[in-house]
Amino acid sequence: MTAPADRATALDALLLQVEVERFFSAESELLDERRFDEWLDLLHEDIRYWMPIARNMRFDRPETEYTRQGDEACWFDEGKDVLRKRVLQIQGGDHWAEEPRSRTTHLVANVRVEAAEGGDIAAKSRFVVSACRLDHDVDLFVGKRVDLLRREHGALKVLRRTIYLDQSVLLSRNLTTFF
Amino acid sequence: MQMTDLIDIDEGTLSREIFSSEDIFRRELERVFVPAWSFVGHTSQLARGGDFFLSRVGPEPVIVTRDEPGAVHVLLNSCRHRGMPPCRYDSGNAAGFTCSYHGWSYGLDGALTGVPKLKERYQGRLEREKWGLIRARVCVYYGSIWATFDDALPSFEDYLGADMRFYLRTLLQGPDGDDDGYEVIGGIVKWQVPCNWKFGAENFAGDHYHGYSHISVERLSIGLSGKTSRHNFAAAKTPRQAMSVADPLRGHTIRASVYKALAAYDPQEGAPDAVNDYYRACHEARQRRLGDRSRLMIHGGVIFPNTHFNSAGRTTIGLWLPLGAGRTEVWRWLFVPRSAPDIVKDTLREYYLRYAGPAGMVEQDDMENWTAAQRGTEGMIARKYPFNFQLAMGLSRGAREDEWLGSEVTITEDVAEHNQRAFYAHWARLMAGA
Repeated sequence: MTAPADRATALDALLLQVEVERFFSAESELLDERRFDEWLDLLHEDIRYWMPIARNMRFDRPETEYTRQGDEACWFDEGKDVLRKRVLQIQGGDHWAEEPRSRTTHLVANVRVEAAEGGDIAAKSRFVVSACRLDHDVDLFVGKRVDLLRREHGALKVLRRTIYLDQSVLLSRNLTTFF
Repeated sequence: MQMTDLIDIDEGTLSREIFSSEDIFRRELERVFVPAWSFVGHTSQLARGGDFFLSRVGPEPVIVTRDEPGAVHVLLNSCRHRGMPPCRYDSGNAAGFTCSYHGWSYGLDGALTGVPKLKERYQGRLEREKWGLIRARVCVYYGSIWATFDDALPSFEDYLGADMRFYLRTLLQGPDGDDDGYEVIGGIVKWQVPCNWKFGAENFAGDHYHGYSHISVERLSIGLSGKTSRHNFAAAKTPRQAMSVADPLRGHTIRASVYKALAAYDPQEGAPDAVNDYYRACHEARQRRLGDRSRLMIHGGVIFPNTHFNSAGRTTIGLWLPLGAGRTEVWRWLFVPRSAPDIVKDTLREYYLRYAGPAGMVEQDDMENWTAAQRGTEGMIARKYPFNFQLAMGLSRGAREDEWLGSEVTITEDVAEHNQRAFYAHWARLMAGA
């Protein structure tokens, strides 16, 4: 029989788990419905959006497997100003890599809340993103995500997003999808 | 296969077949990619003895190493016993490489150093000096490393020719005009595009014409500061003449501009003061160092056949690696000036990431267009109709008033398909067995 205090703690953790999972689901919904302006609203003004490049390195140098933030070449390593421009680019009808638009499906799974302190919540998850465009093109992106969410005025915002793609050489011609 | 049926340089037409035929592709591997020098990397990737990284020479995987005395080697990454790659790490530091299949070991210079059961079962008859890794010829040119497996090819300097030696040396000068002025940012960007390698090559060779591809980024201000046009040179107020420069004997091409006057530095609007201060000092140092030649700005180009580069404030060098008639792998090295303070290196790095490669807001539209163009080469009806390369035909000039632009190159000013015609003319000569 769980003590009442432990039960309250467990319930708090469960509620937080559900809140984070719902947040990620809602985010996926906005991306897949191409409601990019509303998606941007879920990102903190100081967000760092980072997708390093995977390399094939020796077993005893795991810290070098993914390229470093702020220093090495990455797929993405940017703030909200650039993300906003990417959205504006897609919305203009003249960004040929997304015109006509891709059809995307974002699945976020295995969500684990790693830490919650003050208003900050660290969460790990896995993603599968399918992006189909034109008649035949299918791109599949699979990997891990590490997020730092910050609660501001009661609402969660993404303050740091790290996206570890499993592919090393990117087997798709473009990364026009958000993760 | 008659090349004259596929390509007519005088008419400016080119068969779509050369992008989609697997027969032509296999012939290219033999006739275009073997007799070629290829960029494989940069000495800044090999700071210490024992440093190595993987690269490619055409379709061939290679290990690029620095041995303990300091010499640079380029080795075919293929064990002489069963062909396994003895090196399976993208980069690192090692005393040598041991094949994971039967354990044959090689030194940083490719020498066969270890063979299991050498004495007992080879009975002293294995001639180790004959069974080292296949070594490429290597040339280090102002920090850039080049390699070929073709013993009959001229030296790299002669392969470039006098004029391209000047352009490549200029490309590798830092913004202050100092030789070998760049270092590579860690992490090589690698991706695949479902199109023929020549779509990328001809675009980098001389396409001043495809502004329409990139209209979306022109309205978004993604330049160095993130507050101006995608090109840093848009800030310059001095008039300049854009031109296509080609070496018709060797197939190398350069996209360039020449400013009409030596002028003061025009700042990048919105960039941090420290960034403008650095580039102003470099601009002045370059003018002092190079004099009249500092009016030259290289936008990019191709060292025949598949080494490509961009410049004009974004120095990147890359390879179009041929995987099949309709599939290409792209490798891209990003460079920052050695002498720059961190804030300049950081600003440049972020600029590259939002500009170039499959996540770059500019090049995404190139990849999309080349992929679509590839499909336009596949139909039996479509293949009956050649592509058009007639832009600015007959408007080429030979010698120019600026003698330092070169005596062997030909030049067409403004938008032209001058360079693409030179690229394909040389390609056709090699394919015909010339």
